[in-house]
Amino acid sequence: MAITDYAIAASLLHAEIKAQGVDAVTTVPDLIQFALHDRLKGDPEIRYIECAAENQALTVATGLYIGGKKPMVMMQNQGLFNCINTLRSVGIDARIPMVLSVGAFGREFSNLGKPTTESGRVCLNKVEPVMAALGVPYFHLETADDIGKVAEAFETSRKNECAVVLNIGFFPSWS
Amino acid sequence: MPMNVFEACFVINKIRGEALVVSTMSAMFAASAIAPGPHNLSSVPLMGGASGLGLGLAIAQPTRPVFVFDGDASLLMELGTMAQIAGEAPANLVHFVFNNNTQFGAIANLDRPGGAAFDFCAVARGAGYKTAHSADSIPDLIALKDKILGQPGPHFVELRIMPQPRVLTEMPQPELPDLQFQRMAAEARAMMQHLGTAG
Repeated sequence: MAITDYAIAASLLHAEIKAQGVDAVTTVPDLIQFALHDRLKGDPEIRYIECAAENQALTVATGLYIGGKKPMVMMQNQGLFNCINTLRSVGIDARIPMVLSVGAFGREFSNLGKPTTESGRVCLNKVEPVMAALGVPYFHLETADDIGKVAEAFETSRKNECAVVLNIGFFPSWS
Repeated sequence: MPMNVFEACFVINKIRGEALVVSTMSAMFAASAIAPGPHNLSSVPLMGGASGLGLGLAIAQPTRPVFVFDGDASLLMELGTMAQIAGEAPANLVHFVFNNNTQFGAIANLDRPGGAAFDFCAVARGAGYKTAHSADSIPDLIALKDKILGQPGPHFVELRIMPQPRVLTEMPQPELPDLQFQRMAAEARAMMQHLGTAG
């Protein structure tokens, strides 16, 4: 496969996210999802809120949810490690349904098409095991064939009343 | 005369009206003891989370006042939310910080970073809150009512309160009850029922 085959179109991700009723995004913007950030920030039906740190992206999303909005959270894998305690608090103990779209920062191109657990880099290879240890459901998007996992992630968060990680394995394309 | 956390919460509750209250640390216990109900959301056990929770609520419920009862060390832990609050500028948010220059009040009374010289109001003004006030006493706090209610925010209010006396100098520490770990979930659902945002 060509490298570009791993780039899911941002328009496809945007449409799937909108289909889930998302009307707010809280984020510490990440290096991977630029094209998706661009679309979501430019969507007049979405309140896009830039946060200073990932803990705050989670707490603001929780307040939005309690207040009646349907937020999604965006960050990169390093940020996910940065907010583990807040994730435990709001996404597990407080049982707030939320989907975290997490960019796979630092992924070696040689790892594409393989499990991220086989990456040589800790910020890649420990995301899934750490989420498993916490009991946070994890979905990985490798190519456009995985797009159905977006709806599955949202459905899981609602059904299980918990946080869910949607791991975006490669830069979404600008198309 | 200096005020304590319960006295400050008592006065604020008198002017609360329909406001939602997001609280943490010592103010959380005072707020829920003085005025229990579905308007309360506790950031527990989650030091530093109150300001972000309050910001999200204030954006989602723009016609209802939202009060955040923050701790001084808690706010320092997530100081970046002050930039977000000022940037999003929810007119309905009042951000109180209970400043006793202490952590683990009543248990160990450890110093908090920055000491008494740290100027919370200067940070709030620099961040871009509409107003920033400091109150050292109950009369000071009462006098702020007209400045923070009915005027577009976000407002910041530093409450300089007395540290609670240490009570655990000789006793073993009690076990933390399950309630401490379950109340945020229960209160979130109660507030959603109250607001009509559940299901």
